[in-house]
Amino acid sequence: MDSGPTPAEWKQWEEEGYLVFEDAIRGEMLDRLQKAFDHWSAACKEEWLDRIARGEAAATFYDIPNTLEKDDVFIDILDQPRYFQYVKAFTGDDVIVIGEQVRTAPLWPTSYTGWHPDVPHSHPLHIKVQVYVNDVEPGGGEFAFVPGSHRPDAGPYHRVKNLAAMPGHKRFAGKAGTAVMFNTYGWHVAMENHTRTPRKSIILIYEKRTPDRIAEGRFASIAKSLDTPERQRIFGLA
Amino acid sequence: MPRIDAHGHVFTRVSPEFPRETGGNTPPDREETVEKLMAYMASSEIDQAMLVQMGGATPAHHAYVLHCLGTYPDRFLGIGLIPEDVLPSPQEHMDRLTDGTGIVGFRLGLVGGPRDPFEKADVRTFRTYPVWKHAAEKDLVLWLYVRAADAHLIAYLVDAFPQVRVVLNHMGICPGEGKGTHDRWGRPQIDTPSYNPAFHTTIRLCKYENVTAKLSGHYAFSKKPYPYQDLDGWNRALLTSFGADRIMWATDFPWIYEEPGYDKLAKLVEESMPDLKPHEYEAIMGGTAKRFLRFPDLK
Repeated sequence: MDSGPTPAEWKQWEEEGYLVFEDAIRGEMLDRLQKAFDHWSAACKEEWLDRIARGEAAATFYDIPNTLEKDDVFIDILDQPRYFQYVKAFTGDDVIVIGEQVRTAPLWPTSYTGWHPDVPHSHPLHIKVQVYVNDVEPGGGEFAFVPGSHRPDAGPYHRVKNLAAMPGHKRFAGKAGTAVMFNTYGWHVAMENHTRTPRKSIILIYEKRTPDRIAEGRFASIAKSLDTPERQRIFGLA
Repeated sequence: MPRIDAHGHVFTRVSPEFPRETGGNTPPDREETVEKLMAYMASSEIDQAMLVQMGGATPAHHAYVLHCLGTYPDRFLGIGLIPEDVLPSPQEHMDRLTDGTGIVGFRLGLVGGPRDPFEKADVRTFRTYPVWKHAAEKDLVLWLYVRAADAHLIAYLVDAFPQVRVVLNHMGICPGEGKGTHDRWGRPQIDTPSYNPAFHTTIRLCKYENVTAKLSGHYAFSKKPYPYQDLDGWNRALLTSFGADRIMWATDFPWIYEEPGYDKLAKLVEESMPDLKPHEYEAIMGGTAKRFLRFPDLK
């Protein structure tokens, strides 16, 4: 189960650009994650409100800062075998961690973002895994993706103002612990949230290794927690 | 298609006829008259402009703008101000200033809702709700340059009042607390991060057809001289989000007469957005303002 993509999953990844992992995080790990998420959300909130007033942060999404230094669960989630085996496979077992966004999107009349790809095709393969920390219902700010839009010959796509009008898109509601992996050359968005529940998720960001991509010292502060050769490698410390 | 400068200010020396508040770059004896503006406009082939009140929010403070609108009714429209103490019941003030005067709306610097984005947002409790409600009833324009803390609150009111025409000032950027200084010409300089939070607040208002944005105020946000190339990405983001039919060019006169000069500002769109199609250029340089703000036909 944790051994990496099947031929069918390889095909879907290459043709569609995404994979869904239900129950990717569960049990004690999910409990740890939710508790750490809520604890640090509360602890850092006042600082975020001040940053909004200073024009340094948007009020439409809230990222807990420096999470890797706050709780090891935010490190542990980066190499959970259920999906990390796939990240390794798709990057030819040469992956680095770029970072993570531990994010809550408050209720708002529209979405905090529009349809977009993250990087151009000239950029090394860039993969995100969005892990839901709470249940995300349909219409609850769920992640959406245009299958196949990651391919160089796809499109053109337009930044439609009505998110639901994007041709061919697929929406991914899911239970807490669901992970959606996607190729960020592809067009994606957070849909509008018409429920009464803010969406909590963690966006894990990986990339095919290229020289000097991780600045020296970038993860030095968490070196003690990078307790295996593989962790040191994916964080650029070895 | 007329070429329209969608935002700027005129004022004259302080006098009993034209009282106004004074400040660092608006001392009592300084004047930036409408005739001076018209000379600049003529040299750059600009036909019409929006005069935005400054120097006080009482009806008396609006005397000079009202004088200009009355003198040149086919060349200018106006945007007024509302005193903060009038916000709970602004109807009489708004009606008085818009009664056939050429003032078509009001500028707001705040929204006045909860600070915490996780709090329930009931627009009826927002400080400016009565202004929005009356603007909806009287078909008035709201001209927004709100503080950063309020940027996300605009969406609730735009959503509640789809009939109110809204113009986001100065590229939709909302100044943060403690981020303002002045340059050597006495103009505001606003320190803004290169990845601007407005990308996730005001720019997202592109969903609403009643919201437009002004391409103006570059001098205040840019860290580079004209043509402010560090803001090219922001210009593009506005264009791809709102489209040319919902973007208006403006100079923010008179603050740009000396640096970089009105003539240069009149060329900013072609300098910084050289790939525009002709119809997009026409829209940004006047077509959008003509349609959305209902500028009168020239005589």
